[in-house]
Amino acid sequence: MEVVGVKPKMEVKNLNVWYGANHVLKDISMKIPEKRVTAIIGPSGCGKSTFLMTLNRLIDLVNGARVKGKILLDGKNIFNPGIDLTKLRKKVGMVFQKPNPLPKSIYENIAYGPKVHGVKDRKTLDSIVEKCLRVVGLWDDVKDRLQDSAFELSVGQQQRLCIARTLAVKPEVLLMDEPCSALDPTTTRKIEELIQTLKNNYTVVVVTHNMQQANRISNYTAFLYLGRLIEYGPTQEIFTKPKNKLTKDYINGKFG
Amino acid sequence: MKTVKEKTVLFLLAFSAAILLLAFVAITLFIGVRGLSAINFRMITTSIRKGGIFEPIIGTLYLLAGTIAIATPLGLATAIYLAEYAPKGKINRIIVQALNNLAGVPSIIFGLFGYAFFCRFLGLGISLLSGWLTLTCMTLPIIVRGSQEALKMVPKDFRVAAEALGTPKWKTIKDIVLPTATPGLATSIILGISRVAGETAAILFTCSVFLTKSLPTSPLHPVMVLTYHLYTLLVASPGTSMDRAFAIALILLGLVILLNLLAYLIRMRYRRRWKW
Repeated sequence: MEVVGVKPKMEVKNLNVWYGANHVLKDISMKIPEKRVTAIIGPSGCGKSTFLMTLNRLIDLVNGARVKGKILLDGKNIFNPGIDLTKLRKKVGMVFQKPNPLPKSIYENIAYGPKVHGVKDRKTLDSIVEKCLRVVGLWDDVKDRLQDSAFELSVGQQQRLCIARTLAVKPEVLLMDEPCSALDPTTTRKIEELIQTLKNNYTVVVVTHNMQQANRISNYTAFLYLGRLIEYGPTQEIFTKPKNKLTKDYINGKFG
Repeated sequence: MKTVKEKTVLFLLAFSAAILLLAFVAITLFIGVRGLSAINFRMITTSIRKGGIFEPIIGTLYLLAGTIAIATPLGLATAIYLAEYAPKGKINRIIVQALNNLAGVPSIIFGLFGYAFFCRFLGLGISLLSGWLTLTCMTLPIIVRGSQEALKMVPKDFRVAAEALGTPKWKTIKDIVLPTATPGLATSIILGISRVAGETAAILFTCSVFLTKSLPTSPLHPVMVLTYHLYTLLVASPGTSMDRAFAIALILLGLVILLNLLAYLIRMRYRRRWKW
């Protein structure tokens, strides 16, 4: 489906995914516009998370998953045999539903990614850590205990740490899998505001089961149902005048 | 109000636990008391030809040190391969089952195998090296299975988090998985070693002798070992005093308790450092 007027950062073409014999994503094609927020909505089990995981090939880690189709990132198919997974995942970062800090200090959680990609200079690392923690509004809370275990932070702080960690490797695309589902309303609001500022520099794809949230934060919305892309377009249109009856029913809360 | 059934079950469970505890305390006390009255510093530091047990003590340490040096890298590498790389299918399950069976094979069979294969077939003779290799065979299943479980306990979240940042698989294992699994890995290595620390049957025909001229100076020399010395004291020279036997028993018991204590300390140290 087309998104008019904006350059696509990623392009999904006839994507099919199976888990064993289970066909979970069916023939999905869509363009993900650059430096915009695209929301993926749909009921549980419709394949939202699976879709997100194919975009940086984390799906490779799932036993028994099989993928057919193409996903272009800046015009290049990420399933090409010659693709460098390290570079792909540096470009396409991911934030997970449940905060998943590494079993390291707060500092090392942020510095680890840049180190993997070859940053060695201590001063550069220090400044990356500070900058990323500032972006997510965590710097003032943690600047005096950077060497503490990341698990000593509250869940909301952990999630912001995980976002900062993802930003630290300078991605171009940011995938977020229900990033607020484990968080309280105040932290949720903070993260929503953060996403708004992130879209100036990043292409954001966010999975959410919260339709108000999709409405608030996204420029485009895709509705997935039973593994199919039912409708995709500017968020305002999807929420005010959906073309498909399924979309309309879902948005009006008739099923979910 | 507890029912009769509840009470009976509770009694039977508590009774079993009490018997076990009693047996442990009795054995430790018995060996402790008899051993302590027999052991002395002179005995430990004096050569066997002057009535001491210096050579068997050092020989035992040689034997364990070499086994650790061979079995640890081999066991860890195998466990990492099985847990992280090998496809999770039928073959993997068969290997795991084979290892479980191997861990239960009587040690005399390892001794026989070691004698036939290392000493005779490979021509290594009755030597420290044959002993190391035989004990390695015996301890590997324990180290591999324990390490495999320790690796499985590392939360999947950690791997996914690291790989999502673009970390290659081996780097993820090296930086994230192994440090997290360290307490479990160390524990399984130490438990594997403590299983062979008191081993007699497996070294009986492969590396130990009752008396040598001196400590081995090459891996191809035979070695004196505490367990074997204890065995020959009891079997071959029934007239000798039991004191010497109990002194040796106490040293062996202390060695095993020390190894287990070490495993415990490592677990505690890491548990305090990162909680999740």
